[in-house]
Amino acid sequence: MSGPAAWCAALLDPDREVPPGLSTWNGSDPAQRFTVYRNNVTVSLMEALAETFPVCQAMVGAPHFRDLARAFVRRHPPRSPVLARYGHGFADFIAECTLAAPWPYLPDLARLELACLDALHAADAQPLDPDALAAALGRPETLPSLRLGLHPSLATLGSPYAVVSLWAAHQGDGPAPAVNPDRPEQAWVLRRGRAVLVLPMSGGDCRFVRALQVGATLGEATATAAAAASDEDADAAGGFDLTRCLAVLLREQVLTGIT
Amino acid sequence: MNHITTAAALAIALGTAMTIAAAPTSAADTGAKEKCFGVALKGQNDCKAGPGTSCAGTSTKDYQGDAWKLVPAGSCEQTAAPKSPTGHGQLAAFKEKA
Amino acid sequence: MNPRRDSLPWAAANTPGTHPGLPPRAGVGLKPAHVQAILEGAPDLGFFEVHAENYLVAGGPMHADLARIAKRYPLSIHGVGLSIGGADPLDPDHLHALRGLLDCYQPALFSEHLAWSTHGGVFWNDLLPVPYDRATLNRVCAHLDQVQETLGRRILLENPATYVEFADSTLSEAAFITELVARTGCGLLLDVNNAYVSCINHGRDVLAYLAALPLAQVGEVHLAGFHRDTDSSGDPLLIDSHGSAVDEAVWSLYAWTLARIGPQPTLIEWDNDLPVFDRLHAEARRADRLLMGLEAGLETAGDTARRISA
Repeated sequence: MSGPAAWCAALLDPDREVPPGLSTWNGSDPAQRFTVYRNNVTVSLMEALAETFPVCQAMVGAPHFRDLARAFVRRHPPRSPVLARYGHGFADFIAECTLAAPWPYLPDLARLELACLDALHAADAQPLDPDALAAALGRPETLPSLRLGLHPSLATLGSPYAVVSLWAAHQGDGPAPAVNPDRPEQAWVLRRGRAVLVLPMSGGDCRFVRALQVGATLGEATATAAAAASDEDADAAGGFDLTRCLAVLLREQVLTGIT
Repeated sequence: MNHITTAAALAIALGTAMTIAAAPTSAADTGAKEKCFGVALKGQNDCKAGPGTSCAGTSTKDYQGDAWKLVPAGSCEQTAAPKSPTGHGQLAAFKEKA
Repeated sequence: MNPRRDSLPWAAANTPGTHPGLPPRAGVGLKPAHVQAILEGAPDLGFFEVHAENYLVAGGPMHADLARIAKRYPLSIHGVGLSIGGADPLDPDHLHALRGLLDCYQPALFSEHLAWSTHGGVFWNDLLPVPYDRATLNRVCAHLDQVQETLGRRILLENPATYVEFADSTLSEAAFITELVARTGCGLLLDVNNAYVSCINHGRDVLAYLAALPLAQVGEVHLAGFHRDTDSSGDPLLIDSHGSAVDEAVWSLYAWTLARIGPQPTLIEWDNDLPVFDRLHAEARRADRLLMGLEAGLETAGDTARRISA
């Protein structure tokens, strides 16, 4: 192995010999100089993960997070030069990683943080003109067959763990309240203006949005969410509240069109 | 639940939602507590180099062998109490151990 | 040997040595943490520079901020991920995305690095060095031709900061750069800090190195701080860390360089341990003083010449 292939193999594996053919002007050890590159690659990618997953880092502590991040970087280095996209395998990776086993909620927490990053950089879209909605309301017989356009930043996330509360506990400066993680939670993640919002919603509310996102009409999405919600336990998490969903979509300017 | 899909039910829900959304203090009415993403907005692509060659094991010098190769599986349980996370209090505890 | 060169749009539109839109002033790298201070304080700066890859996202506050800055200041876009020195073909999707970004913001300049960062589909997030041999030179020239054609403009290529050399190199770094600039028509982004760092790291005479570069093709200068380390022989090993003020030695080299090439758009790079904006601006003001002092100096030289001829 020579050339860039030898570099690549040695960059991520410190146990490997440095690539052949390196020289130094003063006879100093090229291997020691090569560690500058090793250091740059590994540390910069670990730092990128730490910036994308700050709450995961806070939950497990910086030393443990470094171990997770280093292991991920070595197993899954980025495939794109755009680092804002790096980290899309991190949740699945830590779900399989024994290092993260003590934190069973960590993969879903990572998914929530990644959803925030994706929402932050999602495409812009103009909110729906309120007059268009008023016009639709004036012809109620058309409402069930309407299709709602949603802001590109809107995503849903659900977990058997209280990842929304855990995440929220790490957003302020003050001491965070204790959180029982063994409780299912769901959220809508969206960007409004410059801010990414994480809104605790029900599982039914999330199903409603996912149905709309794959092209269901308002009537179909409502039926889907309501039917699924009724199948679940009496748990409030499964409940679907159409009025609340529509109010949040309007208030946060997530509605971008009706057809 | 078929009744909820009728045009009339949708009209009522939408009309109520428009009223709620237009009200100044609507967060409580919708039941959705909002949380602002405290995003540290910064570009992650740079052309700088890291701080050098010495293997100090600090947060900025970290090209050494994998810790997970050296640590037996399960040893993390002894250093963390993940079942009762308390946010920053727990973070502080981790920092003391580190 | 490049018949297409004169027919390319940028060949006529962007004559080497001129910088439409980017003044011969100091600029700084745009950091999201500084945007508010910049918009409120309206600092007197020649331009702002951003890393292209940070803006290859669909929307949101990164683009909103850049659009506001670009309305008020000239813009330079600096790529850090094209891997022009790479052995693999250039990533066509990435190149296409860059074209879209340039079409959107119409920056006065686009620049990239003499380095590789992608191989086998993996992005290594570092500017890795290339051997200076004929095969590499031909490949870099072909990549540069492809980049300039796809982007529809002349680009500047930056001289690297390196920590090792290749035993198989057959050309000096300056000869390598000189030939690729001549063959592709690209300009040179002269990073004076990189020049100093590399020359210290490889025991080269930095003034001879600079003098051997195609200085007439410099379209922008970069200045930054380095970190001082030591190699296994106890000699200095300088790291291009962008995490401190510009070193006095680099300021001296900058002044030496300006005396030879005239005032050029000059970027202060500070990416690590980011200071408050005023500190960064102070560094830019120092570069501006040298740029303006040089202009005064040239005037004096011109006056002297007229007096002698009269």
